[in-house]
Amino acid sequence: MRLAAVEVGLLLEVVWVSLVAGVAVTVLFSLVVLFGSRSAEAGRGGRSSAAMAYAALALLSFAAFALVVGYGVNVMLAKG
Amino acid sequence: MDNDVVLWIVVATALAFDFTNGFHDTANAVATSISTRAMAPRVAVGLAATLNFVGAFLSLEVAATIASGIVEADLVTPAIVFGGLIGAIAWNLLTWYFGLPSSSSHALIGGVVGSAFAAEGPDAVLGEGIVESVAVPALVAPVLAFVVAGLGILLIYRIVGRLRPSTVSRGFRLGQILSGSLFSLSHGTNDAQKTMGIIFLALVANGNLGPGDDIPVWVVVSAASAIALGTYVGGWRIIKTMGSRIIKMDPAQGFSAQGAGAAVILSASHVGFPLSTTHVISGAIMGAGAAKRVSAVRWGVAGNIVTAWVLTLPAAALVGAATFGLTRLFGEGAAGPIVVSAALLLALGAALARRVGAGRTLTAEG
Repeated sequence: MRLAAVEVGLLLEVVWVSLVAGVAVTVLFSLVVLFGSRSAEAGRGGRSSAAMAYAALALLSFAAFALVVGYGVNVMLAKG
Repeated sequence: MDNDVVLWIVVATALAFDFTNGFHDTANAVATSISTRAMAPRVAVGLAATLNFVGAFLSLEVAATIASGIVEADLVTPAIVFGGLIGAIAWNLLTWYFGLPSSSSHALIGGVVGSAFAAEGPDAVLGEGIVESVAVPALVAPVLAFVVAGLGILLIYRIVGRLRPSTVSRGFRLGQILSGSLFSLSHGTNDAQKTMGIIFLALVANGNLGPGDDIPVWVVVSAASAIALGTYVGGWRIIKTMGSRIIKMDPAQGFSAQGAGAAVILSASHVGFPLSTTHVISGAIMGAGAAKRVSAVRWGVAGNIVTAWVLTLPAAALVGAATFGLTRLFGEGAAGPIVVSAALLLALGAALARRVGAGRTLTAEG
C-alpha cells in the first residue's frame, strides 16, 4: 500500500471557486427576485418608468445568472 | 465459455448496481424541489431521470475509471469486479431500506477494494488513490457545501428579506427548477460513467477489449438506461429523509442548497477532483438549515447520515471481500457467481415480499 501527500493547491482552488460560484449564483438569482418584485410593485403603483428600470435590472441579473450557470455546465462537460 | 458466463453475470450485476445508484441518488437532485413544492414529485423524478440519461452521454471518456486509481488494474479479474459490485449493491440496498442517503460511489470503491484485497492481498490496493479520491473529498466536500449553502442563504435573506414571503417563495420555486436540473445533469455525467468504467474494466480483464479501445456504444446506452430507469422508479424513502427530515425547508433554502451543491461539484470537476453527490447535497441542506437557525437541523437524523457515510467504505469492502471468498469456494469458474447472484435475487425477493406484507417503512429517524 502506498500513501502520498494530497494536492493542497487543488483543494484550495476547489474551496475558493466553490465559495465564489455558490455566492454568485445565489446573489444573482436573489437580485432577479428582488428587482422582479420591485418592478411588479412599481407597475401596480402606476410608476411605469420605474417598473421598466427594475424589469431591465431583473433581466440583467438573470442574464448574469444564466452566464454563470452556462459556464458551470461548460466546465462540467469539459471534465472528460 | 466459463469466462464469458462470468463476464455476462458481471455486466448484469453492474447494470443492477447502476439501477440501484439511480433510485438511491434520485433524492440528491430532486428532494429539495419536491419538499418545497417547486415541482410535482412525478415531474421532478421524470426530469431527473431524463437529465441523468442525457448526462450519461455527455462525457464518454471515463477519464477517472473508478477501479484504475483504487486497485492495481493489472490484477483485476471479472471475479474481483463481481465481488466489488455485490458489496456495493448490498450496502446500497441496506441504506435505501433504512432511508439513509449514503454514497453509491464510496460503496462501489469499498466493494472493489475489499474484493481485490481478498483476492490479491494488500499489494492490489492503491492507498494513494484511496486517500486522494475518497478520504479527502469525503471530509472536505460536505463541510464546504455546508459553508457555501449557509453563506448563500444568509445573503438571500439579506437581499430579499423585506419582500413579501409569497413573492420570495414563488421566485425561488422557479429558481429550483434550474438548480435541480443542473444537479441532475451533473449526476448523470458522474455516476453513470462509473458503471461504464466498471463494465469496460471487466471486458478488458476478460480479453474482449484492449485498454486503449473506445467504450462500446451498447455499454453507454445500457448504463444510461439503467441509471435513468432507477431514477424514475425513485428512492422515495430517501427523498423523504433529504427533503423534510433533516430540516423543514423553504424554497430559498432549497435553492441555496442546490446552488451550493452544484457549485462545489462543478468546481471540483474542473480540477478533476471526484466527489460524492450525496455527501455534497446532504452537507448543503444542513448548511442552509443551520444558517437560519442551528436548532432547525434535526441533528439526530444528520448524525445517522454521517454514521452511514463513515460505515459505507468498510462495510462495502467487507461484503466485497466476503463475496469474493464465497465465489472462490465454488472454484474459479462460473459456479460461484451464479450461486451468489441466485442467492442475492432470492434474498431480495424475500425482503420485498416481507415489506409488502408488513406494509410499513423504516426511516432514518427510527
